Amino acid sequence: MAEPAPLLGRPSAPRCQAEVEVTHGVGLHARPSVAFTRLAKSFPCTVEVAVDGSGDWLNGKSIVKIIGARIRRGTKMRIRAEGARAEEAVAALSGLVRRNFDEDRKPGRADGRPA
Amino acid sequence: MAAPREFRGHPASPGRAVGPVHRAGEPPAPSGLSGSGAEARAALNNAVNRAVYELRQLSAGADAESAGILDFQIELLLDGELLAPALARIDRGEGAALAFAAALNDQIDAMASQCSESASQCSEANQDDGSEVDPFALRAVDLMDLQHRVLDALAGRIRADFPPGAVYVGRDMPPSVFLAHDWSSGGAIALGAGSTASHVALLARARGVPMVVGLGALPGETGETLLVDGTQGLARLNPEARLLPEARLLAEAGPAAALPRQAPLAPAPHAAAGAAPFSAAAGGGETPLLLANLDTLADLDTLDPAEVDGVGLVRTEFMLTSAAEALSEERHLAVYRRLLEALAGKPVTLRMFDLGGDKALAGLTEGDPAGMLGLRGVRFLLAHPDLARIQARALIRAAAQGPVSVLLPMVTLPAELAAMAALFDEEAARLARQAIEGRRPPLGIMVEVPAAALTLDLFGQAAFFSVGSNDLMQYLAAAARDNPAVAPLYAGAETALFRLLDQICTAARALGRPVSLCGDLAAEPAAAGRLRALGLHGLSVAPRRLPALRAALAATVPPPARGTGFPDPATGQA
Repeated sequence: MAEPAPLLGRPSAPRCQAEVEVTHGVGLHARPSVAFTRLAKSFPCTVEVAVDGSGDWLNGKSIVKIIGARIRRGTKMRIRAEGARAEEAVAALSGLVRRNFDEDRKPGRADGRPA
Repeated sequence: MAAPREFRGHPASPGRAVGPVHRAGEPPAPSGLSGSGAEARAALNNAVNRAVYELRQLSAGADAESAGILDFQIELLLDGELLAPALARIDRGEGAALAFAAALNDQIDAMASQCSESASQCSEANQDDGSEVDPFALRAVDLMDLQHRVLDALAGRIRADFPPGAVYVGRDMPPSVFLAHDWSSGGAIALGAGSTASHVALLARARGVPMVVGLGALPGETGETLLVDGTQGLARLNPEARLLPEARLLAEAGPAAALPRQAPLAPAPHAAAGAAPFSAAAGGGETPLLLANLDTLADLDTLDPAEVDGVGLVRTEFMLTSAAEALSEERHLAVYRRLLEALAGKPVTLRMFDLGGDKALAGLTEGDPAGMLGLRGVRFLLAHPDLARIQARALIRAAAQGPVSVLLPMVTLPAELAAMAALFDEEAARLARQAIEGRRPPLGIMVEVPAAALTLDLFGQAAFFSVGSNDLMQYLAAAARDNPAVAPLYAGAETALFRLLDQICTAARALGRPVSLCGDLAAEPAAAGRLRALGLHGLSVAPRRLPALRAALAATVPPPARGTGFPDPATGQA
């Protein structure tokens, strides 16, 4: 990353950031957004998202914010986390976006439960 | 079988009926909708939790596709960002339902404009996946759905109905309970307190449901048999068998004379002055237009549009009886369309929500009889502009489809009319920007506050006037219409009312504005001659009172030109 992430909370808290390109058919519409925010909420750390180099960091646990960002295919999505298990959260969420929200493998339930 | 026992009260709606008692529970504790912010927060949180619970139940049993949609709604409800604007509104003193509905409306509006602004983007995205709709615009529909579910949850517990045919027994009866009930299987109302002039009594008379008020003690327990004689003002517990069989058929009125406001039932329709529309009646004087008051869509079943010149008063607060409906522009529009279609081109006067006072709207405002002098009618609407705007938009859209006029309730000062007129102008402009068909309807005012009645010349901005005689009388007499103890004062104010009516008609004529009268007075055949002499342009009564009014008007002689002191509107001569 070109610039260090702006400071969030206590400087000593674990921080992590990654960038990933959205390759899913439409982008983060309803179902992928549910999958993303549910996964984000399963981590104790904060999760934030910025799109296409914007300095606007959105709460990654809020479906209102995520879907409101209209994240379409081809968007570069930056994901950052701070706090306990930050690294794990960023890895899991980036993975989810790369895997196209698991929709190819598990069609149906947004949260990955068996249909 | 237990011995018969008689209870004596006041006749509120004539006729007799017998049925099993349904004892109403105590009215629910205020749900915090007009109470403290903490209560409103708790009420909203409870409603949201209930909505989430319902959605999870649905999702668990749904197919994958539906479950995906439901999961999305659940996620939205669990998102603090969605509730934050509503909670901020509650902190500013708004009730839970209105705060939630208005906050969501803001977001729905924002989405709609966002999508129209980025229309090119939307279509690009559509090309990408070949679908016809913007996938991100799904949210607006989902939000509306959520809005309804949560508002229903907020209102839900107040909506308990009782068995058809039962006799409702309670201290008093909220109009919403009356309206939610199916009265087609009969039944009656027996109230320990209550009033012959309350809105629920008005509804009962319009619907022909026998009703007795002021019984003091509540007669009977749930399941016991109670005969209600709304003509005599009696309730009889465990009535003798000989009284039973014909009780339902005796929907015939005696001279219900206990209170002057208690007009007798209509005579049989065939006794009325033929079926000719009254506007065709000849005579030297102006014949008032014969108009109908409508409280529910079911009232349309009892109304032959050919028999009336139009609808003089639609009490919209009775047509949209839950917060979810009242806050849905589309629901408003659907109801108004039904009315316009049924009236087939005849004018329809829709009165904006007259809430506050003794009229509650579950989830929006709790009924407070002591609030008759408080925040009701247009005051309530101007204090809750989000609600007013929803209704204004629906009215503007309805006016594009038929002859709609809009009445503002409980206007005191010209400034209130001006404020509402400005709100209508803004919403009309906004609909035009969104390319939604609309027409700014003419605005008239209810004349029911003495201060407005005495200064009618200052209301030149009003397109028409409609006198609400029930409220005008109670405010003139300073005698609450729902307090039996002062009922004689209320009734005795009739002389004052007629003097004021004189003045109102003079002022309206000077302004060149039509004035009509709706209220129980209009339905009193005995008053028809005097009302006609005033030169009113219209009389508006419940559909089932129309035949009696038509007959009474036919029996009156046209007013002698000099008798009224008014110039004839047609000739300009006194």
